[in-house]
Amino acid sequence: MKLGVSALLKRTFLEAHGRAMYRFLLYLTGLPLHLLVYLFYLLKRKDRTYAAMMAEVEWELADDRINYVKEYEGQLLRKAEFFEEKRSREEIHREAVKLAEARLKEEAARRADERLTQNGVRKETYAAYFLSLLDRPLFLVASILPGIVMYCWLFLMSNPFLKYIMERLVQSVFVIIGVGILVFSILYISPFDPASNILGESATKEQIAAFNRIHGLDLPYLHQLWNALRGIVTFDLGSSFAGSEDVASSIKNKFPVTFTIAMFSVVMAIVIAIPVGILSATRPNSFLDTTFMFIALIGLSIPNFWQGLIFILNFSIKLNWLPATYSPGNVWSMIMPVIVLGTGLTASIARMMRSSLLEIIHEDYIITARAKGLSKSQMLWKHAVGNAMIPVITVIGLMFGGMLGGAAVTEKVFNIKGIGSYIVDKQFIPDIPAIMGGVVYIAITISLVNLLIDILYAFLDPRIRSKMKQS
Amino acid sequence: MEEKLKNRHALAVSREYPQANFTWIISLILSLIFLGNSFSFKTGDMNMVLFAFFIAYLTTALFQFFIAWRMKHDLLGHGEIRKGTRRLGYVQLISLATGNVFAAAFAFNIINKRKTPEYTFAVYMFLTQLFVIAISAMNIFKPYVTDTFPVAMAVLLGIALFHVAVLIIVAKSVKEVEAPRSLGVVAVIVLLTAVTGNIFALLLGWSLLLKSMSNDRSRIMKWNVMWEKITRNSMAAMGMFFIILMLTISVVSRFTFDYDLAVANDYGNILQQPSLAYPFGTDNFGRDVFSRIVFGARISLIVGFASTVIPAVIGGFLGGIAGYYSTRTDNVIMRLLDILYAIPGILLAIAIIAAFGANTMNLIIALSVGSIPTYARTMRANVLMVSNYDFVDSARALGTSDMSIIFKQVVPNSMAPMIVKSTLTIGGAVIATSSLSYLGLGVEPHIPEWGNILRVGSTYLESHSYLAVFPGLAIILLVLSFNFLGDGLRDALDPRLD
Repeated sequence: MKLGVSALLKRTFLEAHGRAMYRFLLYLTGLPLHLLVYLFYLLKRKDRTYAAMMAEVEWELADDRINYVKEYEGQLLRKAEFFEEKRSREEIHREAVKLAEARLKEEAARRADERLTQNGVRKETYAAYFLSLLDRPLFLVASILPGIVMYCWLFLMSNPFLKYIMERLVQSVFVIIGVGILVFSILYISPFDPASNILGESATKEQIAAFNRIHGLDLPYLHQLWNALRGIVTFDLGSSFAGSEDVASSIKNKFPVTFTIAMFSVVMAIVIAIPVGILSATRPNSFLDTTFMFIALIGLSIPNFWQGLIFILNFSIKLNWLPATYSPGNVWSMIMPVIVLGTGLTASIARMMRSSLLEIIHEDYIITARAKGLSKSQMLWKHAVGNAMIPVITVIGLMFGGMLGGAAVTEKVFNIKGIGSYIVDKQFIPDIPAIMGGVVYIAITISLVNLLIDILYAFLDPRIRSKMKQS
Repeated sequence: MEEKLKNRHALAVSREYPQANFTWIISLILSLIFLGNSFSFKTGDMNMVLFAFFIAYLTTALFQFFIAWRMKHDLLGHGEIRKGTRRLGYVQLISLATGNVFAAAFAFNIINKRKTPEYTFAVYMFLTQLFVIAISAMNIFKPYVTDTFPVAMAVLLGIALFHVAVLIIVAKSVKEVEAPRSLGVVAVIVLLTAVTGNIFALLLGWSLLLKSMSNDRSRIMKWNVMWEKITRNSMAAMGMFFIILMLTISVVSRFTFDYDLAVANDYGNILQQPSLAYPFGTDNFGRDVFSRIVFGARISLIVGFASTVIPAVIGGFLGGIAGYYSTRTDNVIMRLLDILYAIPGILLAIAIIAAFGANTMNLIIALSVGSIPTYARTMRANVLMVSNYDFVDSARALGTSDMSIIFKQVVPNSMAPMIVKSTLTIGGAVIATSSLSYLGLGVEPHIPEWGNILRVGSTYLESHSYLAVFPGLAIILLVLSFNFLGDGLRDALDPRLD
């Protein structure tokens, strides 16, 4: 058991040591342990065999240097001749010397290593020393306390799934911080002055200065940026410029509305589009397929707000079936916004499902499935649809982001008090904390949804699974 | 038996038969739309003009159905479409008078048995010219027209007559891979008529020049095959027709339409119902909605093209570098672009416009920035694929510099997916433009832009719904055209589908 653990640790340690970023983390997480061990290493390192051997080999190779230079000069001359390039002798000589030096170094290192292994001595490095320590159970037990963080990290790294999830998480965190910096910077360099927009033209200098002080607008850029990022993480974005309401709590109130409508739209899109896509793909170029794809393309080409207006015109004004504006709690008033928001997604998924399934139906393994005697529907449901869903789910994840963004327009049409219309209302001032909060929280939601989908894939898609294990 | 099988095959591979079916179906649908709108359920009134259109389109659809039936009969019985059936196309040409471009395009297609890309270009060139004249001619019913109107109309009519002549010459004399040398002069004049914005004239002129001057058969064949693939898809051809029609209209409207009617307030004519003088009615400032929509095409096309070309160039450059150079460069560029990719395009545009104000220039920049990552990803994937090909390796082995490899080998070979992607995203850009204008964040409110017109229309939804309906239809038509063209281009340029 002990042996298994140390072998696992050793393997992961070696793997992590190979990449600069992980090496750095390796030493950082185990800093106390490494400091101690390094002291021992310095004390115990007796032989300087490697350095001595290098010097010896280099001295031996001194004669070869001239030969190398000559050899490279010859090659370069022939190359210049072939390509009819005009190069001076000096230039060629210089390049030849450079190449010869590089080769000399390589050769020396190679020979030194060779001889050392012949003599049964290994190149002494800290990493090798540490690895040899990991073999000893006693060291493991003794070092468990100072090195606990590093060991945990190594265990995480040893599992490809956990490693993948962690990498993906770190990536998302960086993207979210980047989004925060980007949006803040855009609003920071804005030529507009919120103070004079809110206080009016008649505001005195003192009033403007006071306004700027209250909202921290007189601080230097980096300080303001830090405040904004900290505010995002701690859900404390301060108060909005106009009306001085708490931005975080307004966003908290408005976000669920947008999210609910978006989720219903996604469900509607999936329920309608996947069967349509499958029907179309199984009868390519038939009348049904052409009609479906024609309607899907129209769905892609309709602007949300126009579709909303036409729906209101027909179903609310002319027919009086559905309420024209959204009111929370009234299920009927949600139907039109959900359909309008989901139309584009439905069309995309249907088109994607069709093309993805068509591609898969022509794969070799489907032909094999048919050849072994499966019926068409068995083949379709057992082998084709599941695999065709993989790119479709990616599209859903990506489009979900576009939908949350596009919700601003739909919300304006149906007078929904969601996050999108909140951002639009605040942009005229411009109310920096409100816009920043709205945009960044939407971006975070989108990143999380995509993160979830990616992780889901890691478990579901055998291709990704095997790729992860190989790397 | 074998004969029968062969004829069945002839029916299956015939390109004209599906188009015939498509034409009657779409004519029927259009006629039903006219019927639905000609009758008001509330008041029980009949709109005679729309009802007449219904009758005309229905007749076209029925006649088209007859042609399609004859074609099927011919193909199954004789393996080819007989001359008599083709002559029916001349009769169907009458549908041009009702503005049924689908039936007209089909009629032109069936009349001529030998189909060269030049013939198709010439047909669409002529149709474009005809529709531009028809749309411009609507100005006759206005109380007054702009000063340049008579001259411009005369020039347009002259060009149209010339186009008819070219159409006949092309149908008679241009062959599959060659054209008479004397056509070179005609080609140059055709090229000159492209200044009206009629890109079909440009294509036709270029194609004629190529065939009459060049002896490079493989080049001509490649050109033929590419355009045949694109125009085979009748919806893609229609999309292209409509886009070029919009482009021509926005060039010609400078001379045939009065900009004052679209922007100047006329309080005597507020909120007029559609009539001959004001085909789409007037808005709350008495401005002619028809003129406003015509002038709006210009803005939509400019913003759509600019916010597609800018990110395609920047994103293509970044993606190309990321794909060609080492993993580290790739990682740095793509991770930075991931940040942009995480913000939905519209939201980023709203944030940028919030920071810098709403005007056309900022709108273009805002829309461009958001779509850089998509293009970068497309380009990177292509470059990664192309730079593994043997010809790139051999160029490298010959000592070619990186820059030269990128621009001479890699970029030209990864352009096709970029073109397809651009065409498909122009539609999105047009929608985004009008959406932002609708929110009051796009083009300045006084400029006639489709989103702005709709914004006004949305406040009169109950009483004057036409104010919101027509600009929306214009947006859908343009976006749909770009999407159809993009789909057609993808099918034509995708090597996997060969």
